[in-house]
Amino acid sequence: MNAVESKAVRVNIPRALLNRTGNQRWVEVHGATIREVINALDAAYPGLKFNLCFETGELRQFVNIFVQGEDARALQGLDTPVPPGATVYLIHSIAGG
Amino acid sequence: MSTNYPSETTLLLAGTKRGLFLLSSQDRKSWKVDGQLLAGTRVYNASYDQRNGRMYAADNGDFFGSFLRYSDDLGETWQEPKQGIQFPEDGGLKLTNIWTIVAGRKDEPDTVYAGVDPATLWVSQDRGETWEPNQGLLNHPTRSNWNPGAGGLCLHSIVPDYSNSQRMWVGISAVGCMRTEDGGTTWTHHNRNTRADFFPENRYPEYGQCLHRLLQHPTKPDVLYQQNHCGIYKSMDAGENWIDIQRDLPSQFGFPIALDYNNPDTAFVIVEGDARNNIDDQFTVYRTKDGGDSWDRSTNGLPSGPGVRLGVLRHGMCSDTADPSGVYVGTNTGQIFGSTNAGDSWELIADYLPAVYSVNAVVLDS
Repeated sequence: MNAVESKAVRVNIPRALLNRTGNQRWVEVHGATIREVINALDAAYPGLKFNLCFETGELRQFVNIFVQGEDARALQGLDTPVPPGATVYLIHSIAGG
Repeated sequence: MSTNYPSETTLLLAGTKRGLFLLSSQDRKSWKVDGQLLAGTRVYNASYDQRNGRMYAADNGDFFGSFLRYSDDLGETWQEPKQGIQFPEDGGLKLTNIWTIVAGRKDEPDTVYAGVDPATLWVSQDRGETWEPNQGLLNHPTRSNWNPGAGGLCLHSIVPDYSNSQRMWVGISAVGCMRTEDGGTTWTHHNRNTRADFFPENRYPEYGQCLHRLLQHPTKPDVLYQQNHCGIYKSMDAGENWIDIQRDLPSQFGFPIALDYNNPDTAFVIVEGDARNNIDDQFTVYRTKDGGDSWDRSTNGLPSGPGVRLGVLRHGMCSDTADPSGVYVGTNTGQIFGSTNAGDSWELIADYLPAVYSVNAVVLDS
């Protein structure tokens, strides 16, 4: 594994978006912030960014992104740093009670 | 599900809070329910393009955005357009919901229109593969004054004039009726004599009316009908003036309206009380046979009782083009009622569906 590959971020894809990733539950991309991770995801899996963000770039209301177990909204939002090798979860809000 | 319906099948597309259902019938008496398509998504509307057999659906997901999707195999598989409905990143607008998808005129066979929230008209000239917003409406000089209704700032009604390729009307809540005479380059407001009772100082503004649904008369192109937050109206002059045809209807408020394509002076509305369901214990479709001069109550076969409280949403009623006309009503509690005699009597043709957002009927060609 070279240095670039070693810095990949592991991203967990929610079930509703598996059609974007060819049913891959875990994908790896590169990015130093949530924004960069989202852009990298969209480059690899076109259309995925619009699932997560509005056209204006802001995160959709019921989409939550966790970095190393922390809700990015409570950190620096889309500018939240993502350490090399971090685990990122894309999660929609709890529905149903 | 079956993707091979015999010719002359009546197909009813029911968009619901949880997916799309297809009701099919050869005799409009016995109905088969196929679905659930696009399960788990909120399908505000779905339409079938008779010109090429393509089906469109407005998929407004709970979490991950709104998408127009199309299917060439009656819902077996769905495709996303190459360039879907998305606003420019630097424009400040963000897509909230897709409300309606309407096939173009006969002389524009590859054109499809879509109406969305925030109020914009989208046009595809390649059967839904790529979409662009209509610039005249997007940049309308009054846009900054437009305000949403409770359902959002939604462009929900699109009426391409079948007699004039340059003329079109759209209905926006809460802006009102707008018309273009130059193929969409410029648009003007047309709300004269329609009320906006929620404006205490000026009940008849140039625009700001909460128009709920807009339809064109099937044989007289200058005649329009609209159901409004504040009344039911008819225009005899392409929207220049509107005539209040509420008469003795028990409420001015309702969402859907449908027309009888065999009897052009027959129309159907549903009006609701403050609770947004049937006003007394009888679920009722109100029918006029004289272009709105008088109304009768169509109730034969519709439910009644102390617990009957049904609501019908904006696109929850439609008619087909068979003779005699079929009329269909979907409720927010998951029933669909059908009439094959222009409202003389009704049958329950589906039950236990999710809340019905829209019904659209088509009689399949051979």
